[in-house]
Amino acid sequence: MSDGAGPVRVMVVDDHPMWRDAVERDLARAGYDVVAVAATGREALVRFAATRPQVVVLDLQIPAPDGVQVTSEIVRLEPSTRVLVLSASGEHGDVLAAVTAGATGYLVKSASREELLAAVRRVADGDAVFTPGLAGLVLGEFQRRSEEPAEEPPGSTLTERETEVLRMVAKGMSYRQIAERLVLSHRTVQNHVQNTLRKLQMHNRVELTRYAIEHGLDED
Amino acid sequence: MYSGATLRRVSTWSSPAATAVENRLFRALAVLRVIVLVNAIGLNIYRAGNFDHPVAGAACVVVMVLWTGFAIWAYAEPRRRTVVLLTADLAVALALLLATPLVKGDGFRATVPGFWIIGALLAWSIHYRVLGGLAAGTLFAVVDLTLREHIRQSDYNNAFLLVISGSIVGFICGSLQRMATERDAAERAAAMAAERARLARVVHDGVLQVLALMQRRGGELGGEMAELGRLAGEQERELRRLIRAEDVADVAEENVDLVSELGRLERSGTITVSAPAFPVELPAAVAHEIVAAARACLDNVRYHVGDDARAWVLLEAYPDRVELSVRDDGPGIPAGRLEEAVAQGRLGVSESIRGRVAALGGTAALVTGAFGTEWEIVVPRPAHDLGAAS
Repeated sequence: MSDGAGPVRVMVVDDHPMWRDAVERDLARAGYDVVAVAATGREALVRFAATRPQVVVLDLQIPAPDGVQVTSEIVRLEPSTRVLVLSASGEHGDVLAAVTAGATGYLVKSASREELLAAVRRVADGDAVFTPGLAGLVLGEFQRRSEEPAEEPPGSTLTERETEVLRMVAKGMSYRQIAERLVLSHRTVQNHVQNTLRKLQMHNRVELTRYAIEHGLDED
Repeated sequence: MYSGATLRRVSTWSSPAATAVENRLFRALAVLRVIVLVNAIGLNIYRAGNFDHPVAGAACVVVMVLWTGFAIWAYAEPRRRTVVLLTADLAVALALLLATPLVKGDGFRATVPGFWIIGALLAWSIHYRVLGGLAAGTLFAVVDLTLREHIRQSDYNNAFLLVISGSIVGFICGSLQRMATERDAAERAAAMAAERARLARVVHDGVLQVLALMQRRGGELGGEMAELGRLAGEQERELRRLIRAEDVADVAEENVDLVSELGRLERSGTITVSAPAFPVELPAAVAHEIVAAARACLDNVRYHVGDDARAWVLLEAYPDRVELSVRDDGPGIPAGRLEEAVAQGRLGVSESIRGRVAALGGTAALVTGAFGTEWEIVVPRPAHDLGAAS
């Protein structure tokens, strides 16, 4: 994703100054335009509205509103914004919630600078950044939903092929390796991964709509 | 919240909260003892003409005064509230009741102690609760009625009141003590949870961030710093796992969360563990065997591919089974190598993995090819764990 001219505009949100500075420095050196930094959810939303960055690098554990709420608010304000979630290991529920809310990438905080830069680049290009860890969470989420008695909205369940691809991502295989093993094109594998994310988020929108109908419209 | 087990361990009757309730009730009883004493003295003076033996009657009143003073002092301290004290209290009251026909003559209408005996009755209710109150009340009622030549309606009413008031007060004391004990346990549990949450927040905002940063910068600087970074990463994971485990420690002791157990196998840069976001509860023995099998697979990877070999662990949880995959990026095992090893009697690691999994009623399969080597382990879940997945 780009305007065709100029560096990609990025905002960094983290309440820990050391972290924020390190990430900001790495991004600036790699040629990104860090247009804003924020330490809290409130700051993040205010500065997002003022600077309209294309990519938001977001720590999940920040003072209110938290990373998940910030993600859904940013995506609501500007759906083309790419949110890359950074989280310390182990915050699985929050990571899943953020991705369901609209984040398109996830990276653990201990990832190296190269991994971070690569992830920002791919997110900025519109690709989903699926670590094996995130793929495992998403697989678990679809599995959990399939056990729920409520009927699934059409088109929100994974196809067998998508599950297969996701499982391979979770096992650490690269898109290239998956393409070779399944005899598919690299682009097709990428589309499958993108679709799982879309379905995850769509399910979320369907839930929201259902909630709105049940709690709001019915009372009028 | 607190669990039933916690409550059972803290006895309802000896907990500090129950003792505090009892202390309060005995303080109230001390006031009541003085009131009923003053009442008894007044009535005995008013009816002084009814006594056959006025001196003996006065002696009875003196006994009541002295015993009231002693009882107030004795009951003030929890450790003095012994069977001996309570029995003596009851015995003095009974003795004064029994002395009535002797000092007032057989045709007496009011006993010498009168309502003064409720001091001893309520002491039994407070200390021995409903059964104590019932026993003491019944005893007083029976003695009172058998002493009388003529039982009038009001005598029966008084006796009946003694029995039911002793029981009711006893029941209420027991309930108050139980409620106080439960409230105490709940407050303690809430305070512990709050403190744990506070510690987790502090650790998360400070120590964990610094450890993660050390890990990251260490990796960039290389050399000895990389080693320090790796150690920092291990500590970060351990600490985080500890905070998470604390949260669920009292939920199910015999079950453990396989997700957090497998999380310990993670090594920054080499081993990645992927799992669902929800806890996967399994009996501790089963979970530990699965982790041991996964560890054996990873050891195998390190041995065959090298110390820096990358490996991925994936856990998938279904209602009836868990599926575990351990994959490496190595060159794979040439066809026939394993069969050859088995044929030569070298069972090795692969058989130990299969053996562990088979003992759990599961299966372990090895898939190998250009994409690396992958162990696929499937272990059935006990039926009652179905709910734990959601």
